[in-house]
Amino acid sequence: MNYYEIIFYVFAVLTVVSAGVVVFSRNIIYSAFALLFTFTGVAGIYVLLNADFIAITQLLIYVGGIMILLIFGVMLTTNVTNVEITTQTLKALPATIVVAIVSALLVSTMVSTKWAVKDPISVESTTINQIGELLLTKYLLPFEIASIVLLIAMMGAAFLARKN
Amino acid sequence: MPNFQIGLTHFLVISSLLFGLGLFAVVTRRNAIMILMGIELILNAANINFIAFNKYGQLGVDGQVISIFVIILAAAEAVIALAIVLNIYNNFKTVNADEIDNLKE
Amino acid sequence: MLTQQILDGLSKFYPETILSVTILVIVFVELFFKKKTRVSGWIAMAGLAAAMLFTFLQVNIPAQTIFFQMVAVDPFSYFFKVLLILSGFLIVLFTFLSDEIRSSEFKTQEYYALLIALTLGGFLMASSVNLLMMYLALELSSLSSYVLAGYFKKSNRSSEAALKYVIYGGVSSGLMLFGISLIYGICGSLDMFAISAYLSANPVNLITLLIAIFLMLAGFGYKISAVPFHFWTPDVYEGSPMPVTALLSVSSKAAGFAMLIRFFLVAFQNAGHPTITTEGLHQYITLPGLHWPEVIAVIAVATMTLGNVVAIWQDNLKRLLAYSSIAQAGYMLLAFVVVSPQGISAMLTYLAVYLFMNLGAFFAAILISNKYKTENIEEMKGIGYRSPLLCVSMAVFMLSLSGIPMTAGFIGKFYIFSALINNGYIWLAIIGLMNSVVSLYYYIKILKNMFLIRPQGDTGAVSFGAGYSVLLLALAIPTIVLGIFFGPLTKFAEYSVQIFGLK
Repeated sequence: MNYYEIIFYVFAVLTVVSAGVVVFSRNIIYSAFALLFTFTGVAGIYVLLNADFIAITQLLIYVGGIMILLIFGVMLTTNVTNVEITTQTLKALPATIVVAIVSALLVSTMVSTKWAVKDPISVESTTINQIGELLLTKYLLPFEIASIVLLIAMMGAAFLARKN
Repeated sequence: MPNFQIGLTHFLVISSLLFGLGLFAVVTRRNAIMILMGIELILNAANINFIAFNKYGQLGVDGQVISIFVIILAAAEAVIALAIVLNIYNNFKTVNADEIDNLKE
Repeated sequence: MLTQQILDGLSKFYPETILSVTILVIVFVELFFKKKTRVSGWIAMAGLAAAMLFTFLQVNIPAQTIFFQMVAVDPFSYFFKVLLILSGFLIVLFTFLSDEIRSSEFKTQEYYALLIALTLGGFLMASSVNLLMMYLALELSSLSSYVLAGYFKKSNRSSEAALKYVIYGGVSSGLMLFGISLIYGICGSLDMFAISAYLSANPVNLITLLIAIFLMLAGFGYKISAVPFHFWTPDVYEGSPMPVTALLSVSSKAAGFAMLIRFFLVAFQNAGHPTITTEGLHQYITLPGLHWPEVIAVIAVATMTLGNVVAIWQDNLKRLLAYSSIAQAGYMLLAFVVVSPQGISAMLTYLAVYLFMNLGAFFAAILISNKYKTENIEEMKGIGYRSPLLCVSMAVFMLSLSGIPMTAGFIGKFYIFSALINNGYIWLAIIGLMNSVVSLYYYIKILKNMFLIRPQGDTGAVSFGAGYSVLLLALAIPTIVLGIFFGPLTKFAEYSVQIFGLK
């Protein structure tokens, strides 16, 4: 095992185990905090995949933004002083079976499919330059539309959340 | 003798597991915020796919750009969804999706 | 060179640009009004009219892609743009005339801005040729519709509708995105033409591709509310403000269909030449081994049967119309099973006809709830004697939705069924016909309550203002006229079958 592999397994275990805690924990606060570790683990995986910029973005937006939102959501909608912050599950057994089958099918497909893998070539140390260039050329239109999406999201959320 | 060299498959297995866990949260949980967390797990799984395929398929950085858009959209969706959930809480004092059933046949 | 390309793209992107500017103007202008005004509604109408004008100017542009193969400008997207603007325009008028919205305490700048954003999302859904762009457009239109569904934020029904919508929407778009990521892995690109080229040149793992397609169907199915992704439809349609329901049942659905057609036809065609069958009909070639038309056939049959059967038991008019619109989506999907220009043009014809009859039905429902304060069919007894114009128009819409001859709905169904029969899907046509007969039952039930039962209690005539009558007639007359003079519409639909990149 070299360092790359050790780091990979550390992040992989962190991601999957904390995601498991998110899903199976009975306490929604635990779930929310476990999700924090999942997002961090995913960011680590991005680094291993030569996606440094995405890793930082992941940390900033997911861990710094979406997570805070979710935790605020949990805090605002649940009476925290109340001990009962549990979230009951619904029709757990059939769902477990179906999801297990779906996941097994997916994993086996992922393993058995011959993906179009090419030999790795030397990569540049950072991808920011290329990403920036693509965002303003090939992905110019999605970039602009994303700004409208964000405007709509901001406007809609402000409308729904404010008191008249 | 299986191949222990870290390759594309390793990352895809992680993403499949995240997807499965996210799906499980979505179908079994009743709390709207838990369902949102499940959706976030699914989106993260898709993002890992994009970036892994991108690296091992030598596809430039397109996959990374795509994942930026996914992160943007995830944020936008989370904002709207949480605003709706807060609004629901103000009206119903609960966020459990199946207790909110004024609309029935 | 690069700048030239972008400027060239911009010059073919005026309708979308105008809609974007309209959103900003609405948000800005309403800042100066303290009280509720209609100004933003008028701005929205002006924006839609300008977008329509510039869309018309695009009619002679040769089919092409702009902005680095992100969106296509072609007759197919042109058709949907016209449809979406018409529907947006009518919805603004509905909003003006709906007591529900007028009496709400909320200012309406967000409402109209979101309405335009939904239309813009639909434009992009109909024209994107890149899966990323498609997903972005889908999210734009979904996010605005979530907020619109929950627009009466103090109302339990409305906010419940929004919650259900956002949860189902979030899950299906997440599934769809995972499917897109698998397609990216298989083909190495999100560009539909590149996907098509890759699939026709390289062997692929069929199971992986099928998983990807099923996941993507979750997104499409949710937008057009096809079984099994229809669960949100009745609740959201019942809980949302009525004009919003009308908008969702037409604009969202039409844009979803556009996206579905373009994706399946462009991405999964072989690079080969079109074969010419004995009848001289072109046939799009589909991937060998991947029988997606059969998959669509199953979904179509399930969708229309479920919609029609459940609609029979409904007492709430909005809920009934929700199930009826699920069934209507089933008929349109039937046309898509015939993977040929004939089938697609039948579907486009049906969509155009559906716009008038369905919006008409919703407008009549708005007027009934304005004046009689009820959505329950049982409480509509005898109102045919009290407001004849309204109820006769309602009858026209109902008969058209069920496909009675001499109405536009008949023409739509006729083209779909003849396309099916021409291509050897006689059993599907028979199932479709049986469904139409079933649907007749619940449409007639409404009419029976309106006309055949004498009103009890208050029997005074209830009349409407001139504006209401004009708009009602503006929807009812096309529903009849298109049933008799359908030539231009079918010509337009046949012309609009030209999808860029489809050989």
